[in-house]
Amino acid sequence: MDNPSTKSVLIVDDSRVSRMLIKSLLLARFPQWTITEAVSGDEALILAKDRRFDCCTMDINMPGMLGTEAAEQLLKMQPTLRVALFSANIQEAQQARAAKLGVPFVAKPVTEKSVALVLAHFQGSH
Amino acid sequence: MSLTDTQLDVLTEIFNIGAGRAAASLSEIVGDEVLLSVPRVEFYRANEVNANVLSLTSVRLGSVQQKFKGPFNMAASLLFTEERALEIVQEMLGSQVQMEDLVEYEQEAMCEVGNIILNACLSAMADMLGVSFESTLPEYSSDTPDVVIGRIISDIDNPLMLILHMNMIIEKRRSQGTLIFWLSSSSLKDLILHLDQFLTRI
Repeated sequence: MDNPSTKSVLIVDDSRVSRMLIKSLLLARFPQWTITEAVSGDEALILAKDRRFDCCTMDINMPGMLGTEAAEQLLKMQPTLRVALFSANIQEAQQARAAKLGVPFVAKPVTEKSVALVLAHFQGSH
Repeated sequence: MSLTDTQLDVLTEIFNIGAGRAAASLSEIVGDEVLLSVPRVEFYRANEVNANVLSLTSVRLGSVQQKFKGPFNMAASLLFTEERALEIVQEMLGSQVQMEDLVEYEQEAMCEVGNIILNACLSAMADMLGVSFESTLPEYSSDTPDVVIGRIISDIDNPLMLILHMNMIIEKRRSQGTLIFWLSSSSLKDLILHLDQFLTRI
Protein backbone atom coordinates (compact mmCIF):
# COMPACT_ATOMS: atom_id res chain seq x y z
CA MET A 1 0.00 0.00 0.00
CA ASP A 2 1.20 3.50 -0.82
CA ASN A 3 2.12 5.80 1.98
CA PRO A 4 -0.86 8.15 2.12
CA SER A 5 1.33 11.00 3.33
CA THR A 6 2.96 11.28 -0.08
CA LYS A 7 -0.05 11.68 -2.33
CA SER A 8 -0.35 14.57 -4.69
CA VAL A 9 -3.83 15.05 -6.14
CA LEU A 10 -4.92 17.03 -9.18
CA ILE A 11 -8.58 18.17 -9.16
CA VAL A 12 -9.83 19.07 -12.64
CA ASP A 13 -13.23 20.75 -12.68
CA ASP A 14 -14.56 23.97 -14.17
CA SER A 15 -16.85 24.48 -11.18
CA ARG A 16 -15.12 26.33 -8.36
CA VAL A 17 -17.73 24.98 -5.96
CA SER A 18 -17.06 21.37 -6.92
CA ARG A 19 -13.30 21.83 -6.66
CA MET A 20 -13.75 23.36 -3.22
CA LEU A 21 -15.98 20.51 -2.03
CA ILE A 22 -13.73 17.76 -3.40
CA LYS A 23 -10.66 19.41 -1.90
CA SER A 24 -12.19 19.85 1.53
CA LEU A 25 -13.52 16.28 1.66
CA LEU A 26 -10.14 14.85 0.60
CA LEU A 27 -8.26 17.00 3.09
CA ALA A 28 -10.72 16.11 5.86
CA ARG A 29 -9.54 12.51 5.53
CA PHE A 30 -5.92 13.16 4.56
CA PRO A 31 -4.80 16.63 5.68
CA GLN A 32 -1.23 15.92 4.59
CA TRP A 33 -2.08 15.40 0.91
CA THR A 34 -1.20 18.15 -1.53
CA ILE A 35 -3.98 19.38 -3.79
CA THR A 36 -3.61 21.17 -7.10
CA GLU A 37 -6.58 22.53 -9.01
CA ALA A 38 -7.15 22.92 -12.74
CA VAL A 39 -10.20 24.52 -14.34
CA SER A 40 -9.99 22.63 -17.63
CA GLY A 41 -8.49 19.59 -19.29
CA ASP A 42 -6.08 21.85 -21.15
CA GLU A 43 -4.78 23.36 -17.91
CA ALA A 44 -4.42 19.87 -16.40
CA LEU A 45 -2.24 18.76 -19.31
CA ILE A 46 -0.04 21.84 -18.98
CA LEU A 47 0.41 21.23 -15.24
CA ALA A 48 1.19 17.55 -15.84
CA LYS A 49 4.05 18.43 -18.19
CA ASP A 50 6.11 19.70 -15.28
CA ARG A 51 4.71 17.86 -12.29
CA ARG A 52 4.00 14.29 -11.38
CA PHE A 53 0.67 13.57 -9.70
CA ASP A 54 -0.41 10.42 -7.90
CA CYS A 55 -4.15 10.85 -8.36
CA CYS A 56 -6.60 12.93 -10.32
CA THR A 57 -10.33 13.64 -10.23
CA MET A 58 -11.61 14.64 -13.63
CA ASP A 59 -14.90 16.31 -14.55
CA ILE A 60 -16.22 15.58 -18.08
CA ASN A 61 -18.18 18.58 -19.37
CA MET A 62 -15.82 21.53 -19.22
CA PRO A 63 -14.91 24.38 -21.56
CA GLY A 64 -12.32 23.16 -24.06
CA MET A 65 -11.61 19.46 -24.29
CA LEU A 66 -13.81 16.87 -22.62
CA GLY A 67 -12.51 15.34 -19.39
CA THR A 68 -12.44 11.87 -20.94
CA GLU A 69 -10.07 13.13 -23.61
CA ALA A 70 -7.90 14.92 -21.04
CA ALA A 71 -7.82 11.75 -18.90
CA GLU A 72 -6.66 9.68 -21.85
CA GLN A 73 -3.84 12.12 -22.59
CA LEU A 74 -2.87 12.44 -18.92
CA LEU A 75 -2.60 8.66 -18.63
CA LYS A 76 -0.29 8.58 -21.64
CA MET A 77 1.93 11.22 -20.00
CA GLN A 78 1.80 9.67 -16.53
CA PRO A 79 0.81 5.97 -16.79
CA THR A 80 0.93 5.39 -13.01
CA LEU A 81 -1.57 8.19 -12.37
CA ARG A 82 -4.86 7.07 -10.79
CA VAL A 83 -7.66 8.96 -12.47
CA ALA A 84 -11.30 8.93 -11.40
CA LEU A 85 -13.88 10.56 -13.66
CA PHE A 86 -16.17 12.57 -11.39
CA SER A 87 -19.05 13.93 -13.37
CA ALA A 88 -22.72 14.85 -13.53
CA ASN A 89 -22.87 13.46 -17.06
CA ILE A 90 -23.81 9.94 -16.05
CA GLN A 91 -24.97 8.70 -19.45
CA GLU A 92 -23.98 5.14 -20.25
CA ALA A 93 -21.98 6.41 -23.23
CA GLN A 94 -19.69 8.32 -20.84
CA GLN A 95 -19.47 5.41 -18.41
CA ALA A 96 -18.52 3.11 -21.31
CA ARG A 97 -15.79 5.56 -22.30
CA ALA A 98 -14.48 5.52 -18.71
CA ALA A 99 -14.46 1.72 -18.73
CA LYS A 100 -12.53 1.73 -22.00
CA LEU A 101 -9.94 4.01 -20.39
CA GLY A 102 -9.83 1.67 -17.40
CA VAL A 103 -10.78 4.41 -14.95
CA PRO A 104 -13.67 4.39 -12.48
CA PHE A 105 -16.66 6.62 -13.02
CA VAL A 106 -18.15 8.34 -9.99
CA ALA A 107 -21.44 10.22 -10.28
CA LYS A 108 -21.76 13.71 -8.82
CA PRO A 109 -22.92 15.36 -6.54
CA VAL A 110 -19.75 15.71 -4.52
CA THR A 111 -20.58 14.22 -1.14
CA GLU A 112 -18.73 12.21 1.50
CA LYS A 113 -20.17 9.09 -0.11
CA SER A 114 -19.07 9.87 -3.66
CA VAL A 115 -15.64 11.07 -2.53
CA ALA A 116 -15.25 7.78 -0.62
CA LEU A 117 -15.63 5.96 -3.96
CA VAL A 118 -12.93 8.16 -5.46
CA LEU A 119 -10.68 7.53 -2.46
CA ALA A 120 -11.21 3.77 -2.74
CA HIS A 121 -9.67 3.97 -6.21
CA PHE A 122 -6.85 6.28 -5.10
CA GLN A 123 -5.90 3.95 -2.27
CA GLY A 124 -6.70 0.59 -3.81
CA SER A 125 -3.93 -1.80 -4.79
CA HIS A 126 -3.84 -3.12 -8.29
CA MET B 1 -48.01 16.62 -34.95
CA SER B 2 -49.07 14.62 -31.93
CA LEU B 3 -48.19 11.54 -29.95
CA THR B 4 -50.31 8.41 -29.65
CA ASP B 5 -51.50 7.47 -26.17
CA THR B 6 -48.86 4.75 -26.01
CA GLN B 7 -46.04 7.07 -27.10
CA LEU B 8 -47.21 9.66 -24.58
CA ASP B 9 -47.35 7.03 -21.86
CA VAL B 10 -43.79 5.85 -22.63
CA LEU B 11 -42.44 9.39 -22.77
CA THR B 12 -44.12 10.26 -19.46
CA GLU B 13 -42.71 7.14 -17.83
CA ILE B 14 -39.21 7.80 -19.17
CA PHE B 15 -39.43 11.38 -17.90
CA ASN B 16 -40.73 10.09 -14.58
CA ILE B 17 -37.70 7.83 -14.19
CA GLY B 18 -35.38 10.66 -15.23
CA ALA B 19 -36.96 12.98 -12.70
CA GLY B 20 -36.61 10.24 -10.08
CA ARG B 21 -32.87 10.21 -10.73
CA ALA B 22 -32.83 14.02 -10.59
CA ALA B 23 -34.68 13.97 -7.26
CA ALA B 24 -32.22 11.43 -5.86
CA SER B 25 -29.36 13.77 -6.79
CA LEU B 26 -31.09 16.80 -5.27
CA SER B 27 -31.79 14.77 -2.15
CA GLU B 28 -28.07 13.97 -1.81
CA ILE B 29 -27.22 17.66 -2.18
CA VAL B 30 -29.70 19.00 0.37
CA GLY B 31 -29.67 15.99 2.70
CA ASP B 32 -33.44 15.69 2.79
CA GLU B 33 -36.19 13.75 1.09
CA VAL B 34 -37.37 15.17 -2.21
CA LEU B 35 -40.94 14.47 -3.27
CA LEU B 36 -42.04 14.49 -6.89
CA SER B 37 -45.29 15.73 -8.37
CA VAL B 38 -47.07 13.87 -11.15
CA PRO B 39 -45.25 14.54 -14.43
CA ARG B 40 -46.99 16.64 -17.04
CA VAL B 41 -46.20 16.09 -20.70
CA GLU B 42 -48.10 18.54 -22.87
CA PHE B 43 -48.03 20.34 -26.18
CA TYR B 44 -48.13 24.12 -26.13
CA ARG B 45 -48.03 26.88 -28.68
CA ALA B 46 -45.19 29.28 -27.84
CA ASN B 47 -47.64 32.15 -27.32
CA GLU B 48 -49.61 30.10 -24.78
CA VAL B 49 -46.70 29.36 -22.47
CA ASN B 50 -46.25 31.66 -19.50
CA ALA B 51 -45.52 31.47 -15.79
CA ASN B 52 -49.19 30.93 -14.99
CA VAL B 53 -49.58 27.94 -17.31
CA LEU B 54 -46.52 26.37 -15.69
CA SER B 55 -47.80 27.19 -12.17
CA LEU B 56 -44.75 29.33 -11.38
CA THR B 57 -46.13 31.69 -8.78
CA SER B 58 -43.05 33.15 -7.06
CA VAL B 59 -41.96 36.74 -7.52
CA ARG B 60 -38.49 35.91 -8.81
CA LEU B 61 -37.01 32.69 -10.11
CA GLY B 62 -33.47 31.38 -10.17
CA SER B 63 -33.07 29.42 -13.37
CA VAL B 64 -30.38 27.05 -14.62
CA GLN B 65 -30.48 26.40 -18.36
CA GLN B 66 -28.75 23.76 -20.38
CA LYS B 67 -29.16 22.56 -23.94
CA PHE B 68 -28.79 18.96 -25.01
CA LYS B 69 -27.94 17.97 -28.54
CA GLY B 70 -28.34 14.44 -29.82
CA PRO B 71 -30.66 12.44 -32.08
CA PHE B 72 -33.19 15.09 -31.08
CA ASN B 73 -32.54 18.37 -29.30
CA MET B 74 -33.89 19.53 -25.97
CA ALA B 75 -33.54 22.53 -23.73
CA ALA B 76 -33.73 21.90 -20.01
CA SER B 77 -34.46 24.22 -17.11
CA LEU B 78 -34.26 23.90 -13.37
CA LEU B 79 -36.26 26.65 -11.69
CA PHE B 80 -36.28 27.65 -8.02
CA THR B 81 -37.70 30.61 -6.18
CA GLU B 82 -34.71 32.89 -5.79
CA GLU B 83 -34.48 32.89 -1.99
CA ARG B 84 -34.74 29.08 -1.94
CA ALA B 85 -31.83 28.88 -4.35
CA LEU B 86 -29.62 30.46 -1.72
CA GLU B 87 -30.78 27.90 0.86
CA ILE B 88 -29.83 25.08 -1.48
CA VAL B 89 -26.41 26.64 -1.97
CA GLN B 90 -26.07 26.78 1.80
CA GLU B 91 -26.98 23.09 2.13
CA MET B 92 -24.53 22.17 -0.59
CA LEU B 93 -21.58 24.11 0.77
CA GLY B 94 -22.31 23.50 4.44
CA SER B 95 -19.64 24.96 6.64
CA GLN B 96 -17.26 25.62 3.72
CA VAL B 97 -18.47 29.17 3.23
CA GLN B 98 -19.58 31.84 5.70
CA MET B 99 -23.21 32.90 5.51
CA GLU B 100 -22.30 36.41 4.34
CA ASP B 101 -20.20 35.02 1.47
CA LEU B 102 -22.91 32.71 0.13
CA VAL B 103 -24.21 35.21 -2.41
CA GLU B 104 -20.79 35.28 -4.02
CA TYR B 105 -21.03 31.55 -4.64
CA GLU B 106 -24.71 31.47 -5.63
CA GLN B 107 -24.15 31.70 -9.36
CA GLU B 108 -21.53 28.97 -9.56
CA ALA B 109 -23.15 26.70 -7.00
CA MET B 110 -26.53 26.88 -8.73
CA CYS B 111 -24.88 26.16 -12.08
CA GLU B 112 -23.39 23.04 -10.56
CA VAL B 113 -26.65 22.01 -8.86
CA GLY B 114 -28.48 22.49 -12.17
CA ASN B 115 -25.80 20.63 -14.07
CA ILE B 116 -26.06 17.63 -11.73
CA ILE B 117 -29.85 17.54 -11.63
CA LEU B 118 -30.52 18.18 -15.32
CA ASN B 119 -27.86 15.67 -16.35
CA ALA B 120 -29.22 13.07 -13.94
CA CYS B 121 -32.66 13.35 -15.55
CA LEU B 122 -31.35 13.55 -19.10
CA SER B 123 -28.96 10.62 -18.63
CA ALA B 124 -31.71 8.31 -17.41
CA MET B 125 -33.87 9.24 -20.40
CA ALA B 126 -30.97 8.85 -22.86
CA ASP B 127 -29.99 5.46 -21.47
CA MET B 128 -33.54 4.12 -21.65
CA LEU B 129 -33.87 5.25 -25.25
CA GLY B 130 -30.40 3.94 -26.09
CA VAL B 131 -29.13 7.31 -27.30
CA SER B 132 -26.58 9.85 -26.11
CA PHE B 133 -26.52 13.62 -25.87
CA GLU B 134 -23.92 16.33 -25.66
CA SER B 135 -24.67 19.27 -23.42
CA THR B 136 -23.80 22.92 -23.27
CA LEU B 137 -22.39 24.28 -20.02
CA PRO B 138 -25.06 25.37 -17.52
CA GLU B 139 -26.10 29.01 -17.29
CA TYR B 140 -27.73 30.59 -14.25
CA SER B 141 -29.87 33.69 -14.19
CA SER B 142 -32.60 35.12 -12.02
CA ASP B 143 -35.56 37.21 -13.01
CA THR B 144 -39.34 37.33 -12.87
CA PRO B 145 -40.99 34.07 -13.99
CA ASP B 146 -42.41 35.54 -17.20
CA VAL B 147 -39.01 36.97 -18.21
CA VAL B 148 -37.32 33.62 -17.49
CA ILE B 149 -39.94 31.69 -19.49
CA GLY B 150 -39.95 34.26 -22.29
CA ARG B 151 -36.19 33.95 -22.68
CA ILE B 152 -36.36 30.16 -22.92
CA ILE B 153 -39.18 30.21 -25.45
CA SER B 154 -37.53 32.79 -27.68
CA ASP B 155 -34.47 30.53 -27.73
CA ILE B 156 -36.45 27.52 -28.92
CA ASP B 157 -37.51 29.37 -32.05
CA ASN B 158 -40.50 27.20 -32.91
CA PRO B 159 -44.19 27.94 -32.53
CA LEU B 160 -45.12 24.50 -31.19
CA MET B 161 -43.36 22.73 -28.37
CA LEU B 162 -43.63 19.70 -26.16
CA ILE B 163 -43.05 20.44 -22.48
CA LEU B 164 -42.10 17.87 -19.86
CA HIS B 165 -42.76 19.40 -16.48
CA MET B 166 -42.39 18.16 -12.91
CA ASN B 167 -42.11 19.71 -9.46
CA MET B 168 -39.59 18.55 -6.89
CA ILE B 169 -40.52 19.39 -3.33
CA ILE B 170 -37.85 19.46 -0.63
CA GLU B 171 -39.95 18.38 2.31
CA LYS B 172 -37.96 19.81 5.21
CA ARG B 173 -37.66 23.27 3.69
CA ARG B 174 -41.08 23.32 2.05
CA SER B 175 -39.34 24.63 -1.03
CA GLN B 176 -39.99 23.60 -4.54
CA GLY B 177 -37.95 23.27 -7.69
CA THR B 178 -39.36 22.78 -11.15
CA LEU B 179 -37.78 20.62 -13.79
CA ILE B 180 -38.75 21.38 -17.37
CA PHE B 181 -37.58 19.84 -20.63
CA TRP B 182 -38.53 21.72 -23.78
CA LEU B 183 -38.68 20.13 -27.20
CA SER B 184 -39.33 22.14 -30.29
CA SER B 185 -41.70 20.45 -32.71
CA SER B 186 -38.85 20.14 -35.21
CA SER B 187 -37.32 17.53 -32.87
CA LEU B 188 -40.56 15.60 -32.44
CA LYS B 189 -40.19 13.32 -35.44
CA ASP B 190 -36.88 12.00 -34.13
CA LEU B 191 -38.21 11.71 -30.60
CA ILE B 192 -41.18 9.66 -31.86
CA LEU B 193 -38.83 7.42 -33.84
CA HIS B 194 -36.87 6.64 -30.67
CA LEU B 195 -40.01 6.14 -28.59
CA ASP B 196 -41.25 3.62 -31.18
CA GLN B 197 -37.89 1.83 -31.17
CA PHE B 198 -38.08 1.67 -27.38
CA LEU B 199 -41.61 0.20 -27.64
CA THR B 200 -40.45 -2.56 -30.00
CA ARG B 201 -37.82 -3.59 -27.44
CA ILE B 202 -40.28 -4.12 -24.59
